Amino acid sequence: MKTIIEPFRIKSVEPIYFNTKEERINIINKASFNPFLIHSNDVIIDLLTDSGTSAMSSNQWAGIMQGDESYAGSPSFFRFEKVVQDITGMPLVIPTHQGRAAEKILFSILGGKGKYFVSNTLFDTTRANIEYSGAEGIDLLCEEGKHPSIPAPFKGNMDIAALQKVIVEKSAANIPLCIITITNNSGGGQPVSMANIKAVRKVCKENNIPLFIDACRFAENSYFIKLREKEYADKTVPEIARELFSYADGCTMSAKKDAFANIGGFLAMHDEALALQCRNLLVITEGFPTYGGLAGRDLEAIAIGLKEVMEEHYLQYRIRSIEYLTNKLIAAGVPVMQPAGGHAVYLDAKAFLSHIPIQQYPGQALVGALYIEGGIRGVEIGSLMFGKYDEQHQLIPAVLELVRLAIPRRVYTQSHIDYVAEVIIEVFNNREKIQGLTIIEEAPMLRHFTAKLQPINLK
Amino acid sequence: MTNIKRSWAEPYKMKMVELLKMTSPAQRKKALLAAGFNTFLLKSEDVYIDLLTDSGTSAMSDRQWAGMMLGDEAYAGSRNFYHLEEVVREVYGYKYMIPTHQGRGAENILSKILIKKGDIIPGNMYFTTTRLHQELAGGKFEDIIIDEAHDPENEFAFKGNIDLNKLEKLVKKHGAKKIPYVSMATSVNMAGGQPISMKNLKELRAYTKKNGILVIHDMTRVAENAYFIQQREKGYAAKSIKQIVKEICSYTDGATMSAKKDALVNIGGFLAVNNYDIFEEARNMVVVYEGLHTYGGLAGRDMEAMAIGIGESVSDEHIRARVGQVIYLGEKMMDYGVPIVKPIGGHGIFVDAKKFLPHIPQDQFPAQTLAAEIYQDAGVRTMERGVVSAGRKANGDNYFPKLELVRFTIPRRVYTQAHMDVIAESAGRVYEKRNSIKGMKMIYEPKYLRFFQARFEKLK
Repeated sequence: MKTIIEPFRIKSVEPIYFNTKEERINIINKASFNPFLIHSNDVIIDLLTDSGTSAMSSNQWAGIMQGDESYAGSPSFFRFEKVVQDITGMPLVIPTHQGRAAEKILFSILGGKGKYFVSNTLFDTTRANIEYSGAEGIDLLCEEGKHPSIPAPFKGNMDIAALQKVIVEKSAANIPLCIITITNNSGGGQPVSMANIKAVRKVCKENNIPLFIDACRFAENSYFIKLREKEYADKTVPEIARELFSYADGCTMSAKKDAFANIGGFLAMHDEALALQCRNLLVITEGFPTYGGLAGRDLEAIAIGLKEVMEEHYLQYRIRSIEYLTNKLIAAGVPVMQPAGGHAVYLDAKAFLSHIPIQQYPGQALVGALYIEGGIRGVEIGSLMFGKYDEQHQLIPAVLELVRLAIPRRVYTQSHIDYVAEVIIEVFNNREKIQGLTIIEEAPMLRHFTAKLQPINLK
Repeated sequence: MTNIKRSWAEPYKMKMVELLKMTSPAQRKKALLAAGFNTFLLKSEDVYIDLLTDSGTSAMSDRQWAGMMLGDEAYAGSRNFYHLEEVVREVYGYKYMIPTHQGRGAENILSKILIKKGDIIPGNMYFTTTRLHQELAGGKFEDIIIDEAHDPENEFAFKGNIDLNKLEKLVKKHGAKKIPYVSMATSVNMAGGQPISMKNLKELRAYTKKNGILVIHDMTRVAENAYFIQQREKGYAAKSIKQIVKEICSYTDGATMSAKKDALVNIGGFLAVNNYDIFEEARNMVVVYEGLHTYGGLAGRDMEAMAIGIGESVSDEHIRARVGQVIYLGEKMMDYGVPIVKPIGGHGIFVDAKKFLPHIPQDQFPAQTLAAEIYQDAGVRTMERGVVSAGRKANGDNYFPKLELVRFTIPRRVYTQAHMDVIAESAGRVYEKRNSIKGMKMIYEPKYLRFFQARFEKLK
């Protein structure tokens, strides 16, 4: 295969600040082993998230300059609205300052005590918003999605049998919404197949449960469908996306991912009555319905980014660059989630640091080690993010202990990625020296953002 | 000595312009119908001069645009956050700052933290979103602004002042424990951009301190308020806007800020407090609603633009030109006989619709009607600030506020003197034909903040 090159070149650059290993040891101690508490100036390669970290195109920057900042009725909104309508086929479009605000609004309306939200896997803020409303979130990931080392084409799929079972147990009346996250972020950036979406749709329809798509990586998922689901090989990405959205009643989107925007999100739907309720809440916490808490320029950038992301040359490059890093690590024996996902490489921390018990957060420990060794910032997606306590205050672990190295879109070069691989392999070769961690301070919700930890001395 | 008035000429020149579209009376008629006679629902393309709000509509400086290019979009620990934090500490003096995507995001969080069900929140006149967040958190707003504020004709210099007797009555009636804080706004928007005096603020501080009540500062137009203190209050003529702003903040315990006004940005806000425990709670909560506490739902570049804008907003030259332009417009409107709220406030001209259209009763929405007429005349978009904005009480009855105003808010650094002339002339023309103007009825009413999306019909 020929090398797949970027379908763009660099127009503006941002300096990287280097530091030494000694400095990084001080920094991580000061940040209590929490990567969210490290200043970005102290990070060499920032793989904390692919959210809001994209490099915008010159066209998007031109859109930024064109933003109309009128409080109400800005043409930037109408351009944004039309693009979202074209992609999703959903007529009612509500901008929000980011994805979690869209979720917040949706779950404040549909949530509440005694309600259950079912999903392939809910992401951290989605789950937090659901629980904040008093409702419960239930993840129904397919079996192959739970085994990092076993490759399968659609490990983000929902377990249809489990879905049917939950509907019977909890009763459809108590399930206000089914949510499919594409791609499945917490489960390794793995795609959901069109066949699975159709099957979920059928079950939802039979039980009168609306289906929403958490669409923040819809283009990456659509491209995987094109690559891996035979009957879609000849379809274009916009066609696939359109079909995928056609099975849903609505969607939430963080435009900070597959729209290359640094800020922004939206809700889109078919149901007029629900949209009216959403807009009523929107004005309270977000802003007027034609700006939703965003500057006009951001609406422009999203509109342009949504079109750019569906370019096949871009998606081919994007998916290939994740695969490139994943394959390098597999070749060196590093345990990673397989196959490569759409936006990140997921290290299997349980296998990587098999000497550290789950209660000592091996994922977080690995995050610390990667930072110390090479100034790389990743994030734990495991028991620190999703773990809970039982009544005896014993940790109920998450299903997977992963470290996510999210690759920002259009930001890092191949040599950056080579450097990342070298650092990971170096850490892997010295893994037995890494110590587990204990929590010394934590918040009741979304604790991973602000928790403080310290190493447990191995004696 | 000379009697020639010193011009308020701008301390800047234009570097980038945005083209405007002119519309015909027939086009405007159509646009108004489509918008249900609500200026919020007009498309901005159909608007010639947009005075709907001064919020988020400022022209940024070349330095701010340069700052936009320096945005560090890291999810956690962005450089721009630390810059903003430093500027907030330096300029306003608050110890802890959490960015939010805009002012109402900060209000939402602070209300949820400080207010318990059944609490009373006294304040110097309500503001739409502020009061709503207080109510949604279980509190009840009580207006303690001085009576002069409700009289558009009264020319008292500090119509934003708090009546401490009213506050004391509330404390006696409910007990200080039921009053978590006083919501104190600088440049009281609903009163016409009227300032609070430093003397009043000091008295408020002394009283609340004695009673263990916090003072939370709605500081979105603090620099404009500082300008009026400098111009009107004894002992402040020689002080800089920067010094006055910092002194104002020093008498408060925390603040919510919509940076879309004074701070010259198109998006962004923050909450700031001096108490670590409140800060910590807010930091945990902001993640759910806004974003991680080092970006709060803002792009890094927006925090940078805010940090730079805050610095520019407290410069004496900037504020003098800003308020100078507003006063220029107001005086010109008065020359045409248009009844406006006096004295002229800092961010706009507030036309007294009750006096302008005395033949239209308040339940026929005189201010809403006038805003529609003003648009029809020359394509100038203004905003109703009267019975529609006031909304309904918990029992479903309309609030009938004493002030029934149309707000001509002037975006910062956007329009020229010639634009001001067009606006004044248009208001004058509408005033000439005032007797032929008929009221309206509301045909659609949303549940919250109805003024945003309500629709109207002209009465025959």
